[in-house]
Amino acid sequence: MKLLKAIVRPNKVDEVKSALEKLQISGMTVTEVRGHGKQKGHTAIYRGQEYNVSLLPKMEIEVVLPDSIVNDAVKAITEAARTGEIGDGRIFVIPVGESYKIRTGEKEVY
Amino acid sequence: MSQPDPAPFAPSLADPRAVRRARIEAARAELSAATERGAGGRQALKQYSHRMDAMIQQLFAEAGPLAQPVGVFALGGYGRRQLCLHSDIDLLMLFAGMIEPADERFLHAFLNPIWDLGLTIGHHVREVHEGSKLAEDNPEFLLALTDARAVVGDAALLDQFTAAADETRTHNRTLDALKALIADRHAKYNDTLYQLEPDVKESPGGLRDLFGSRTIANLTDPVLLGQGGSGLRALDDAEEFLLRVRSILHWEAKRHYNQLTHELQEMVAERLGYDADTPRKRVERMMGDYFRHARVIDRSLRWALRAAPVPIGPNLVRSTDGIRFVDVDAASERPETWLSAFQAAIDGGCAVGDEVLACVQQNAGRYKAEDFFPTDAHCDALLWFLKPRPGLYARLSEMHDFGLLGQMLPEFQAISSRVVRDFYHKYTVDEHTLLTIRNLERLTDPATPRERFARLLAELDRPELLVLSLLYHDVGKWKDENHEAESARMARNMYKRLRLDEPARAAIEFLVTEHLKMSVAAFRRDTEDPEIVRQFAELVGVEDRLKMLCLMTLADVEAVSRETLTPWKEELLWRLFVDTYNHLTLSYGDEVINGHRSTLITETIEQRPADLTAQEVELFLHGLPRRYLQLFSRDAVYKHVRLSKNLGDDDIKAWVERKDDEWELTVITRDRPFLFSNISGVLSSFGMDILRGFAFTKPEGLIVDLFRFNDDERFLAMNADGDARLVRLLEDVIRGRVDLAARLKGREEGAFRQRLPGFAPVVHCDADSSRRYTIVEIVAENALGLLYRMSRTMSEFGVEVDLVLISTEGRRAIDVFHLTKQGKKLSAEQQEQLTENLLRVLEGRP
Repeated sequence: MKLLKAIVRPNKVDEVKSALEKLQISGMTVTEVRGHGKQKGHTAIYRGQEYNVSLLPKMEIEVVLPDSIVNDAVKAITEAARTGEIGDGRIFVIPVGESYKIRTGEKEVY
Repeated sequence: MSQPDPAPFAPSLADPRAVRRARIEAARAELSAATERGAGGRQALKQYSHRMDAMIQQLFAEAGPLAQPVGVFALGGYGRRQLCLHSDIDLLMLFAGMIEPADERFLHAFLNPIWDLGLTIGHHVREVHEGSKLAEDNPEFLLALTDARAVVGDAALLDQFTAAADETRTHNRTLDALKALIADRHAKYNDTLYQLEPDVKESPGGLRDLFGSRTIANLTDPVLLGQGGSGLRALDDAEEFLLRVRSILHWEAKRHYNQLTHELQEMVAERLGYDADTPRKRVERMMGDYFRHARVIDRSLRWALRAAPVPIGPNLVRSTDGIRFVDVDAASERPETWLSAFQAAIDGGCAVGDEVLACVQQNAGRYKAEDFFPTDAHCDALLWFLKPRPGLYARLSEMHDFGLLGQMLPEFQAISSRVVRDFYHKYTVDEHTLLTIRNLERLTDPATPRERFARLLAELDRPELLVLSLLYHDVGKWKDENHEAESARMARNMYKRLRLDEPARAAIEFLVTEHLKMSVAAFRRDTEDPEIVRQFAELVGVEDRLKMLCLMTLADVEAVSRETLTPWKEELLWRLFVDTYNHLTLSYGDEVINGHRSTLITETIEQRPADLTAQEVELFLHGLPRRYLQLFSRDAVYKHVRLSKNLGDDDIKAWVERKDDEWELTVITRDRPFLFSNISGVLSSFGMDILRGFAFTKPEGLIVDLFRFNDDERFLAMNADGDARLVRLLEDVIRGRVDLAARLKGREEGAFRQRLPGFAPVVHCDADSSRRYTIVEIVAENALGLLYRMSRTMSEFGVEVDLVLISTEGRRAIDVFHLTKQGKKLSAEQQEQLTENLLRVLEGRP
């Protein structure tokens, strides 16, 4: 099992969700986040004065998937979230060792 | 006020002076006899006052012909019909018009016989128009006036005199004066009523305190003295006792004398019929009664001082439990006055009293929406009320809960308790709407964490339109679909009722119709895509609308639920605002009217007046930034077209118009060096404070400049030909016939001397935002002649000032200049040099 953590542009969330649903992936967590990647934000000007916009608003989508569909999911997210410009985001693939159901305490080992 | 009896006495054949003297002596004898019996109280004094009235009426009739309407009014104790034997006779003589020599002759003829009788009169002579300055009149006169009653002549003049006054201010000043006089007087008596030799008029607990407590009640709440203190009956008894004592003192002393000395106490006790074995015991009983009555008065006065509501408007007072109507029944018949109670609560930071709310609840249903807005002033009052500030949400909620809001704005009633089930909204539609206003209101709190949005709100010219738009933005939700269009349709029903001007209607129409667009763009579109920003900028058109829509979105999203407006969403919204603002102010020079016809251009051409051809309108618009059409009304555009037709190279078309509290100068002419700085300099030379404006230059050199300014020195207001003189000087300066620099020198030096410590000016050169222009954005402390100095520096540097946006926000001037040098953008070196020159001028460096 893998945890996919995708940081995408806020306006791309709906498209990413649709793409994942097409792969029968419906369980996901979406979080509003702010951060920066290599671009480290940019300088904006308002009324003649410059200010640094270092933390950019992004959306974080987390899904836990079987190894077998990770590649398809990564591809789907990439295609849905891509604009070709700097700031399109990033996908992290993280191994998941075990999980627990909070209600029953049942453990699953992968 | 009732008309007094006409002069009742027929002229006498005998010496009139002797007759008058005999009559006054008879009146005095009558009062003396009553006093001697210990009965010189209210009834006797009333009779004596009546006799005095008759004599004054006779003297008035005998004083000769009147040149104009005149009224004579009794003031003070005489006004209360409590004239004592040796009291002054206080009179007010009111003339309907200006007092001329004939009126002065009448006055002498009227007053001299009174003096001849040995009476002491205090007289005030006023013209009716002076009532407008009544609030500034001397406090003693204001106090005396509270007991005024007509004696003879035109009684209606007093109503006219007081009607011209600002009643609330006058009442408040009268009360303040009364309280100060009471405090001073009490201090002279060491603030105790237990004087062994009291002055029955002046001492604490004396007659002045009694009248003082009644005056407070009369000016604030007529039933006040019945609700606390010693009660009305005890006060009446005290008054009767003190008047009887005072009459004896006057009679015994044979002069105006009010002190109950040890020597006189025995005699007074005897006259009043106190029965005891010894004179000392009689005195002790009488003084015991005196102190009992003085305590009664003292308690009532203290109650009045403590509990009296403060007059804050016609039929409106502020009391400990909030805003109240003085006369609830009268208020219930005048629905147009109700809003003032809620306004007063906001102004005073207090509640609306339960009586007011009950009156509103019981009567609101009797009235139609139009009944609340019978005049322009009532419509203006609503708009004023809707300015966001602490308390607005609470008051609007009360108005809604007690049935007033829905009667005033029936469209709002359509969403009362309306439930719309969706995934996000947590409140009924009406409460969601009111919460949007609370969110705006919170931005006015200096401690708001949303300082950048708060600044936008503070910058709005008419924030009340934003609140009105919020009130209407969801009224269309009574239907299940397409609520924005339905809300806009319903809002249109309100425009005429509230007599909104065209710009206000357009702003509300835009905000209600488009209120979802910014959240869609900010949260669901890629705002890093310049095309998205350009499209959004095209939708909003001008900065003011952008600010309003941004604030509307913020308030609307936050009112959905506590969790909806996250810092993340706030950031997205702010970024879209900044990007759009920059597009509107920095990129508009590239978006000019050319062959492409947008809806706005097509409408402007097709709806032209008959005297203009389509070609003339099209020709004029060609080459102007598209923004031009969003800034000027259709009528203004057509006027510009007319004036620009056949405009010669040397022609200057300029005119000044009043716009509410501000003024506007428009100039159409051909471009020439230093033109913009000359225009702004001329305005500064008259002390005008330039607030905002625009300058447009067409490719072939036609310019259209508009300046909105304050006439701080009231030159235009005070001089009927002021606008013509301003335009004449403008023409002379532009044609080089007047040295503007010399004319401005003194003013500029003065302005520099008076400059407040402010913030460092910012000059930012931008070579990227526009394809055609170098843009210089300047933010500096606003000062007289600032625009002139900046634009002159640019012209001296040899650049052409093609487009200008002028705005002033509080103490900050924010100006954006679009420049070229010989038709091209400025090089990096030129930008650097110009920036340095501008900073030097702005900082006042040599």
